[in-house]
Amino acid sequence: MPVHGAIAAALLAAAAVPSLAQAPAAPATPADTPELPRYTIDPTHTAVTFEAVHRGVSISRGRWTRTEGDIAFDRAAGRGRVAIAIQIGSLSTGSKAFDAWLLGPAAFDAAQHPTARFEATDFAFDAAARKPVRIAGTLTVRGQGHPVTLTTTLFDCYTSPLFRREVCGGDFEAEIDPRRWLPAAALAAAAVPERVKLLVQIEGVRQ
Amino acid sequence: MTLIRPLAAAALALAFAAPAAAEPVRYRLLPDHSFVHFEVRHFGTSTSRGRFGPVDGEVTLDRTARSGQLGLRIRTATVDTGVRVFDSRLREPDLLGVEAWPEAYFVASRFEFDAAGGVSAVRGEFTLRGIGQPLTLVAERFGCRSEPAAGGTPAREVCGGEFVADVLRSAFGATFGLPFIADRVRLRVQVEAERL
Repeated sequence: MPVHGAIAAALLAAAAVPSLAQAPAAPATPADTPELPRYTIDPTHTAVTFEAVHRGVSISRGRWTRTEGDIAFDRAAGRGRVAIAIQIGSLSTGSKAFDAWLLGPAAFDAAQHPTARFEATDFAFDAAARKPVRIAGTLTVRGQGHPVTLTTTLFDCYTSPLFRREVCGGDFEAEIDPRRWLPAAALAAAAVPERVKLLVQIEGVRQ
Repeated sequence: MTLIRPLAAAALALAFAAPAAAEPVRYRLLPDHSFVHFEVRHFGTSTSRGRFGPVDGEVTLDRTARSGQLGLRIRTATVDTGVRVFDSRLREPDLLGVEAWPEAYFVASRFEFDAAGGVSAVRGEFTLRGIGQPLTLVAERFGCRSEPAAGGTPAREVCGGEFVADVLRSAFGATFGLPFIADRVRLRVQVEAERL
């Protein structure tokens, strides 16, 4: 399992997001907080799926499965941060025509913007359950960053028999308005849904 | 939902208390919008997803008689999780067994309709790895749209829906990885079909 330390460091340096005062009475800590346990994302169990209503009658789905990144969190201290990069070109809906349109200039414009990022340092924890319940961060797509909050629907940690290390992860979701990330020309070219659900699977291996 | 014609027909049938004339309408699945997605828990911690498809088949709906028939064919080798090593592993004999059983099927002839005349559930049999088990697909969404002719495509009616069902993969003999990879698999079926 390759350690993506160099990539993680680059992502964190690029994030430049100030830590919010989630830990009461503690001084503001820099985004790269060495003492938080770190987890490197397992790309085979990390994916982003979108769901959008189609023709008002069914749900179109697509997913990105090439991801990499880094998570650090401390359940006891109730702090965390995450930086994930998503390769836009890994999108697959099952329809080649739909993939081509989505990757093109009217939607994701993968040629100009091959990578999307989600970066967050604002973790809300359920102290009793020792689980993150909300992760508020910035989703950058097509070079445009807007706030997105992920809500946790499942979270746990286990000892992986494969890695022989702790793995933590879960399911997270958010509903977004994709129009916020699109330039006027793209909005004029086609009907863009107002609501898209993002379903995020993440698992990270303890470093 | 534009179901005015079948609702009017149903109302007339009730008003005259006469047996409704059968009005079966056939639809063929549209490949760009017909897939079977699946979700399975991994170590009880996160949900892994994949899909089969495009799925092909035909649906016959008779909204006046409140009946229908459905035959879906799934080519099991189309399994796609986005992770190639998983796809290869899934195709092996102790999971999908695509060589021995290249197709899975869902066949149903018990349709349930809601008060608005839309499909609310479809009861039938799901066959995977050559084993058939009863399965009910519950509609989370259903509707029909009349699409006007545009850019070379003729006018047509498209009916579609979003259906969900849970299966236990062990009931079909797909047992690898239990219990760390869950037995329960949620199927999410997207279907859109054009009137023939």
